[in-house]
Amino acid sequence: MSRNGATRAGAGALVRLFHVSKSYLAGSWALRDVSLELAKGEFVFLTGPSGAGKTTLMRMIFADEQPSEGQIIVLGRNVGRLGPGAVPSLRRRIGVVFQDFKLLPRRTVEENVALALDVIGAPARERRARVFAMLKRVGLQHRRYHYPLSLSGGEQQRVAIARALVNEPEILLADEPTGNLDPELTLEIMDLIADAAARGTAVFVATHDLALVERYGRRALRLEGGELVEDVIVRRPAP
Amino acid sequence: MTGRFRARLRYVLRTTGTGLRASPLTALVATFTIALALLLMGSFVLLIANMEQILDRFGEEFRISAYLEDGLAPAELELLRTRVSAAPGVERVDLVSKEQALERFRASQIGRAALLDGLDANPLPASLELVLAPTHRNRESLDRLAAALDGLPGITDLGYGSDWVEGYARAVELVRGIAAGIGGVLVIATLLIVTNTIRLALVTRSDEVAILRLVGASRVFIAVPYLLEGAVQGLLGGLIGLIFLFGCFHMLLPLFAGSLELVLGQVAPAFLPLRTCLLLAASGAGLGAFGSAAALAQGRLSS
Repeated sequence: MSRNGATRAGAGALVRLFHVSKSYLAGSWALRDVSLELAKGEFVFLTGPSGAGKTTLMRMIFADEQPSEGQIIVLGRNVGRLGPGAVPSLRRRIGVVFQDFKLLPRRTVEENVALALDVIGAPARERRARVFAMLKRVGLQHRRYHYPLSLSGGEQQRVAIARALVNEPEILLADEPTGNLDPELTLEIMDLIADAAARGTAVFVATHDLALVERYGRRALRLEGGELVEDVIVRRPAP
Repeated sequence: MTGRFRARLRYVLRTTGTGLRASPLTALVATFTIALALLLMGSFVLLIANMEQILDRFGEEFRISAYLEDGLAPAELELLRTRVSAAPGVERVDLVSKEQALERFRASQIGRAALLDGLDANPLPASLELVLAPTHRNRESLDRLAAALDGLPGITDLGYGSDWVEGYARAVELVRGIAAGIGGVLVIATLLIVTNTIRLALVTRSDEVAILRLVGASRVFIAVPYLLEGAVQGLLGGLIGLIFLFGCFHMLLPLFAGSLELVLGQVAPAFLPLRTCLLLAASGAGLGAFGSAAALAQGRLSS
């Protein structure tokens, strides 16, 4: 491991946190004085035990929570000053993946993936082509007319990743994306996420699986009790 | 129509259809709740409409008789008729000649008509009968009109039954008061029932709303399919309610025909006019959409 600076991304950063704190109850901090940056195409792990503040940090980046103190700049927009009308347009530029997939059970795989395109009003032909290409990328084109509940956990997470990436977001946030999956499926999903980073999307993955962090050997931030205690580049173990 | 607008429209229609099909039982419950609420509302409107119709028919008898001098020249009579017609609140003016007046009197004196045979000349005057417009069927308008007619050349006397005028005006006020009171309560009850039914239906789909928010859907984008779903359920409910009402009206009417004729005389009960039916169906759609909007606002599902 090697130490790394919190401001390593510089002026081209897509996400910047300046001394961000979040408190839900007076005197209790979910996050405390966190500063960090995330650059285009960067693949960063966010680690730490349960309750460390990983999910809170993720939610603040996609404007689902407001910071109690400090500032968050995402894609040039100050999250704390966004009006309710500006939040959806910011979210359209961010893909989000959760541990529990968050798929609509009554819509087909194709419809679930297309949701991100429906929101921007993509014309039918473009919608169909992009959804098909995305499903092909995650290896599920043959399952496009199936319903989520008829798929395995790994397949459901691939659908969620397809939905998160189909709109070509600048940032991909994944909160414990492999938490419900067995080791083989975990690698399958992480390879898809790493591929998104290779294509230029800034990727932020929250996980408590340190083996995963070591396997991929990327920048890793560690939260403990709401504080950022480590920002390092993890080296991949020798093969 | 731009490609994006068409795409959004297609999404809205598809999502509305999916939403209705997704939980058919909930959709059915909401639709039949609205149907029941509008059946109650429709029955009440039907009752009030018929009562108003009866009062209107009675109101036709709401008239002033202006008795005329004997020997008025046709030109004078026509001039007088024109002036009387122009008076405020007058809907119609009928001329009753001396002969017609005698004929009416004779018809009203059943069994005693022979008494009139002894008369050398017809003692009854001709008259102009003024029918008042429905909005002027009250004591004040009647007094104002009588004052305006009093002293007009050619008119010797005025006659109107003041006792039943008061009774009629009170009956109209009572019916309208009851209509406003019960109608208001029914509207509020209907709104509450419909809003709660649709809110319950939407609560089961709060995950869907959360996911839509996650992918960047705006409030309008989230709300429109739900509003449309509510409107469709409301419209269907309204139509079902009207069909039930129509069926009940025609099935029950013959059973009470005898009693109704006794009470109403020649005034036959009538179903709601087409315009009111369309209005009721449209209010079903409006109620459904309002219910959805209130449910979305209450649950902050689209915030």
